[in-house]
Amino acid sequence: MAKSQQKARDFTVQYSEPVGILAAQSVGEPGTQMILRSFHFAGIESAIATSGLPRIVELVDAKKKPTTPLSTVYLEGAASKDIEQAEKIAKKINEVRMDSLIRRSVENFSKGTIKILLSKQELESEGLTPGQVSDKLAKLLKLDTSVEKNVITVKVHTKNLKDIRLTMVKISKAVINGIEGAGKAVVQTNPKTGEIYIVSAGSNIEGIITVSGIDKSRLYTNDVFAINRLFGIEAARNALARELQATLDEQKISVDFRHLLLIADAMTSTGTIKGVGRHGISGEKNSVFARAAYEETVKHLINAASFGETDHMRGVTENILVGKQIPIGTGSVKLAIKKEDMAKIKPK
Amino acid sequence: MVNKSDHEIIPVHEILKLKEVNELLESKGITLENIPKIFESDPQCQKLGAKPGHVLKIQRNDGGNRYLYYRVVVEG
Repeated sequence: MAKSQQKARDFTVQYSEPVGILAAQSVGEPGTQMILRSFHFAGIESAIATSGLPRIVELVDAKKKPTTPLSTVYLEGAASKDIEQAEKIAKKINEVRMDSLIRRSVENFSKGTIKILLSKQELESEGLTPGQVSDKLAKLLKLDTSVEKNVITVKVHTKNLKDIRLTMVKISKAVINGIEGAGKAVVQTNPKTGEIYIVSAGSNIEGIITVSGIDKSRLYTNDVFAINRLFGIEAARNALARELQATLDEQKISVDFRHLLLIADAMTSTGTIKGVGRHGISGEKNSVFARAAYEETVKHLINAASFGETDHMRGVTENILVGKQIPIGTGSVKLAIKKEDMAKIKPK
Repeated sequence: MVNKSDHEIIPVHEILKLKEVNELLESKGITLENIPKIFESDPQCQKLGAKPGHVLKIQRNDGGNRYLYYRVVVEG
């Protein structure tokens, strides 16, 4: 026990080790290989997520919304084994927008009505009736609607062209069924464990968590900002590191997880998710020279001069810039003497 | 309100007592400004009722490596 503890201690990072630089290089070098090795598998899954370098860039730059948002919803109790129950829950999540149901629509400006012909096939596949759609529209947008077979007639009590058009736009954007922003929900089975879960092509986990029958403790999405909003910054940090690793693993690139955790820590240290670039970590360095050496040199120097900023020369970049020893490893050791002791030394 | 305490990616948060905060700062030789931040509006802060100036103790677990992390609550 004591021996293994000692062994573990021997492998801890030494004081003044530049862990940030190591992390950056450890991710940056494999990143150069990713450009050459980006390929796609076609048509295996219903939704193909962004992968490879574009995904890494997206995560590291702290993009507010991922290009391909995905949520994984695990199910509670028996539903995780029963495909019929799972389908039922998926129906509750699956977002159905009005424009996907409309086959044709006619706006009558002289009568102030809109006639909407619904697509029979779409209605059947979503398990909806024209009556339900009409009721939902009436409730959502407070419209005067009536149904006749597959045609919904909306009376807009005005003949103003602009208002009718606006109503039509609102109608086509209305969410008839499911959760807004949840996207298309598909039931999938884990081939190894046989567990049934739902994958949806949206990241509105704030909405999905209100659906009953799902396992709230395992709800996950690739949108780190959504995780931050719902679960907090610590969860977002974990998700960020996890997403980075998943993306690298997919390309069979092995980077030590601790490098990714450090990047995630640095990005979340201010309480919100900050990118690493000009508008994030690098742009908020304390040193004027470090910022000027990175991007927008003139802007930073002029601002620093006009506001009388001080540079304490504590970082690496600014010391390289002026040709001093960098404060890393042995370079961080400084010689100091107490004032009282200084007085004792007599000049010869 | 949904109980989010036991999600697999949320570590356990705890408000640190004032005495513990002072001990922490002294043992590490740092000030509150050196500690990573967490917003008051963060769901975990809301749950604990943490106010700006509080320090949260977070029991992290990075793939089996368990350690403590601290965040100071700031306005926002």
